[in-house]
Amino acid sequence: MELFNLGIKSIFVENMIFAYFLGMCSFLAVSKKVSTAIGLGAAVIFVLTITVPLDWIIQEYVLKEGALAWMGPQFAETNLEFLSFILFIAVIASMVQLVEMIIEKISPALYGSLGIFLPLIAVNCAILGSSLFMVQRDYTFAEATVFGFSSGIGWLLAIVALAAIREKLKYSNVPDGLKGLGLTMLITGLMGLAFKSFIGLAV
Amino acid sequence: MELKFLRKNIDKVKPHFEKGGKWERWYYVFEALETFAFTPNLTTRSNGVQIRDAVDLKRMMNTVIIAMIPCLLFGMYNVGYQHYLAMGQESAFWFDKFLFGLVKVLPVVVVSYAAGLGTEFVFATIRRHPINEGFLVTGMLIPLIMPPTIPLWQVALATVFAVIIGKEAFGGTGMNILNVALTARAFLYFAYPGEISGEVWTSLPKDQTEIVAGYSGATPLGIAAQANSESSQARRDVKDYLAKKNDDPSEKNDIIYEEALDISSNLNTKSLVTDRFDSHWGSSMYNAQTMFIGFIPGSIGETSTLMCLVGAFILVFTGVGSWKIIVSVFAGAYGTALLFNLIAANEFMLMPAHYHLVLGGLAFGAVYMATDPVTAAQTEVGKWWYGILIGVLTVIIRVLNPAYPEGIMLAILLMNVFAPLIDFYVVKANKKRRLSRATV
Repeated sequence: MELFNLGIKSIFVENMIFAYFLGMCSFLAVSKKVSTAIGLGAAVIFVLTITVPLDWIIQEYVLKEGALAWMGPQFAETNLEFLSFILFIAVIASMVQLVEMIIEKISPALYGSLGIFLPLIAVNCAILGSSLFMVQRDYTFAEATVFGFSSGIGWLLAIVALAAIREKLKYSNVPDGLKGLGLTMLITGLMGLAFKSFIGLAV
Repeated sequence: MELKFLRKNIDKVKPHFEKGGKWERWYYVFEALETFAFTPNLTTRSNGVQIRDAVDLKRMMNTVIIAMIPCLLFGMYNVGYQHYLAMGQESAFWFDKFLFGLVKVLPVVVVSYAAGLGTEFVFATIRRHPINEGFLVTGMLIPLIMPPTIPLWQVALATVFAVIIGKEAFGGTGMNILNVALTARAFLYFAYPGEISGEVWTSLPKDQTEIVAGYSGATPLGIAAQANSESSQARRDVKDYLAKKNDDPSEKNDIIYEEALDISSNLNTKSLVTDRFDSHWGSSMYNAQTMFIGFIPGSIGETSTLMCLVGAFILVFTGVGSWKIIVSVFAGAYGTALLFNLIAANEFMLMPAHYHLVLGGLAFGAVYMATDPVTAAQTEVGKWWYGILIGVLTVIIRVLNPAYPEGIMLAILLMNVFAPLIDFYVVKANKKRRLSRATV
């Protein structure tokens, strides 16, 4: 039940996009078509579900103060937390590499339409952000897994909704200055307003 | 006779606005006023659309405005009614009450129309597009979802914001993503929460001494939320007390204990929420029937479920509003409330399910806002999903989110965001179904 609540919370209440505005660059850039958005969203879910628990293991058994105690008493005091950024990013980057190879093999069309944004998942702030939140909030291994997975779902939901809106807007007579990114930013703001309905939800 | 006179005068000035005329720049302002009065004099050309109907967008919008008039008139009366109730003069002459409400409400309506139409005219003139009739409805909706005490400048500010950011940025009427009137309200709600939440629902007399002792202008939803948080507090108190007593048997704080026990003793037997309604000083003020008719504090036009249903009848009968959306919003809300009755984890969940349908703005939102043909789901199957989800979300926000006592505004806005996605999948499923049927 606790885990279920955490899942709901990370999908809706603490949505990566609308509560923290993390992962905006690919959110804005790859939301022109619903099918592409779903592809990218799925890739983000995959990467998040693997990296957050993996980073949890690294944090717990390597980085944290005293985490290296299992290697012998002389390491009981060691604190490697200053390495967390570089190690987390290394994990994320290798996972993204893996996803890239898988997608290229399974769906070359999706691979083509995601373009540069697929390798750029490596620097998607939502992904590094989730790992850092995981550390900050002292999640257990199970919580970290649920958190990673549902943060990804929340991100997918946001980008797919935006993509559907943008497909509908193709027929609109938008003022010249606002065409493209300008209007997308406005839509993001308005979507954030609507998503405020979950902020404060008691779960 | 009068119409002929009007027609003649319009025709007289018309050349000035047409191409080459001295006021050419203002053509769209002129055209908007002309077509407001008369059906455009267009005939079908030999190619293109062959079937035309006198019911154009303006006529449709006018139907919605007519459907809102019951709510507007009742709202004016109720503003006066609440005012006199607060002063203990319940028996005041009905026309006095109406007149008081008229004086309070009319400025809000005028300001909303002036600000909104002004913005529309500016955009139409600069961008050279015909003036969008959409604002005729929005301009009426905005006053109806404001508390009667709202400062006029805030009405103007919210209207201008909603028209520019919510609509014109997207290319005008028919292109917007979020309902414009709700965008205005949400803007005010988050920008100036002091004027649109709390006890702002009755225009009280300036002289505080005239107010009847014990009068509270809280909305029923506010009372419900209050009762809910009090009982959760009471439960926590009992728990804390028992824990303390376990640790240290000499610990004694009987006052807190008895108070808390008093509140939590009838848990799961009768909802504290309905208890509060029943024991409110104007005892019959918060029974289901009064709330259905609408003599309760709230935004100007939202209180009366009855008047909303009259409006719903007009909209459905003329084919302007979708009955599917209206029915499914109510069904979704009722179903969720019943489910909460079964879970019964807090006082609010214990409130009888039908109360949710007559409380606050659910009916108003369902009838006038959710049915907005631009921002709602466009596909027929999608409309069911869209409506049901609005109902479900409304009750969830009301009951589970202590930050907002009312849920319908944010529920509709959220579903506005997801409506294109619902449509996308309905269309996709439809394609798949038809493809599977096709035999080559």
